[in-house]
Amino acid sequence: MNKFIVLIKKEFVQMVRDFKVIWLPIVFIFLGITQPIVTHYLPSILGALGGGQGITIDPSMTAQKGGEVLASTLGSQFDQLGLMILAISMMGIIQTDKANGMLAFILTRPVTVISYIAGKIVSNYLIAAFSVAIGYFASYLYVNYLFTDVPFSHMITALVFYLVWVLFIVSFTTMISTIFNSQGIIALISIVFLIGCRIIVGLSTVIDFVNSASMSKHAMEVLITGSVNSKAIDNALVTLVWIVLILFVTNYWIANKKFNHE
Amino acid sequence: MKLEIKNVTKTFKEKIAVNNFSMELQSGECVGLIGPNGAGKSTLIKVISDIIDPQAGEVLLNGKKISKMKREIGYLPQYPNFFHWMTAKETLTFMGKLSGLQKEELTNSIPEILTKVGLRGEENSKVGTFSGGMKQRLGIAQALLHKPSLIVMDEPVSALDPIGRREVLNLIEEIKKDTTILLSTHILGDAEEICERFVIIKNGTKIEDTTITELLNRNSKNKLNVEITAKDQKWIDVVKKLPYVKEIEVIGHKVQIKVENIEKNKNMLLENALEHKVDIVKFEINNDTLEEIFLKLVVKE
Repeated sequence: MNKFIVLIKKEFVQMVRDFKVIWLPIVFIFLGITQPIVTHYLPSILGALGGGQGITIDPSMTAQKGGEVLASTLGSQFDQLGLMILAISMMGIIQTDKANGMLAFILTRPVTVISYIAGKIVSNYLIAAFSVAIGYFASYLYVNYLFTDVPFSHMITALVFYLVWVLFIVSFTTMISTIFNSQGIIALISIVFLIGCRIIVGLSTVIDFVNSASMSKHAMEVLITGSVNSKAIDNALVTLVWIVLILFVTNYWIANKKFNHE
Repeated sequence: MKLEIKNVTKTFKEKIAVNNFSMELQSGECVGLIGPNGAGKSTLIKVISDIIDPQAGEVLLNGKKISKMKREIGYLPQYPNFFHWMTAKETLTFMGKLSGLQKEELTNSIPEILTKVGLRGEENSKVGTFSGGMKQRLGIAQALLHKPSLIVMDEPVSALDPIGRREVLNLIEEIKKDTTILLSTHILGDAEEICERFVIIKNGTKIEDTTITELLNRNSKNKLNVEITAKDQKWIDVVKKLPYVKEIEVIGHKVQIKVENIEKNKNMLLENALEHKVDIVKFEINNDTLEEIFLKLVVKE
């Protein structure tokens, strides 16, 4: 437990020195405010550019409800560019330690593999969750200002659901970073797999049930319809099972020293 | 403290890195693990420090599996690579805490150990700005910090310039008074200087386990080294015909002469040389240097 705290602390100091605690939230704030602003001002922007002749803008677009705009912040911004940024910012989470020998070095100390992995995932999840939450709040403020108000309780419920999906993103990227040795490959596999998961949501109820990306859809549903899908809790539990499995694989990989490839 | 390495074998794909290697290490010893590049030294060191698992055999410290005794081992990697964004003090605090040291202990022991390795005044410099020698010394500091009963060092001086080498060698000389040390190197002179006992490894197999004096005694073989000037080369033919000369080897101006009995024959040879008015530059009893012995051991077979 003690070692776990030491490792978490080290991760945070590193994030502060790398300025990750600053740039990651800023990126998400930008992503968060883009959706409401662009949706609201798109007709005026097009009009001002003068290319508007003959184009009719569907009046329902600017008349969207606040909940719908906030939902599309999650679906169109965070689940696409946001997800890529998260995966890229975490691709080296374990890979850099493997590459420069620090992982082997740390493990010559009386440190359990579990506390090492937990330290990595907890610290990186906290920063990712913080960034997503702050970007989401920024989006929420703009939505309330430019569109109709979103009930606070819906906003929080949706955020909680969405953060379960973020936990899956962090764990999955960590596992890929443990198994593969090239940052490019890690980023590619993580992004393709995670975005793939997100795209297939809604195709089949069976797949949706085991797909952690459904959590993002449930979050959007809460915002749009205002009611919680009965499957959301099941999905959250399945996601937790996936995460445990991912941790198990990561732990197995490091504990059996498969990262030493010579 | 007692370290036992029992029948350790480690292969990478088809290549055997360490082959059925066994040795014991007693408290207070300083053992040099020497061998050519690719002999399996680093692999063996990594098995001992529990970085890689052997296919067969085990490593025991005080009768217990090494993986349960990490607290008692200080490990210095070949290229100590710390987090470059940490300062020297932070690195030591981090490594110390991972070894289970308390904050209070660290506030006392870190300045002490930094003074010992000569990094006093560099506490708050980033490790990324350190030279190779400084990193190596910081590596030694982190290996010593938790007062382990065994220190394992992988090529502690091989990558350093002569000044850095000297610093680190003096440091090891200093710490060996109170700990047990196992170090690997391919530079014989360094091992000769700090270790009493040598284990020579080749192709993953132990080919020699002995002390330096024994090794030198065993290999002194009635030989004389004579260095002469160019104009006296013909004297070599005279020497060849002497009855007590058994063997002769010429390397440039140096002549290595093997005689029947070094005590009796050395003065006879010298007299002979003077008779022929040979211009002698050097005349000495040959003791094989460690390097020559090493080459003989490793290159033969």
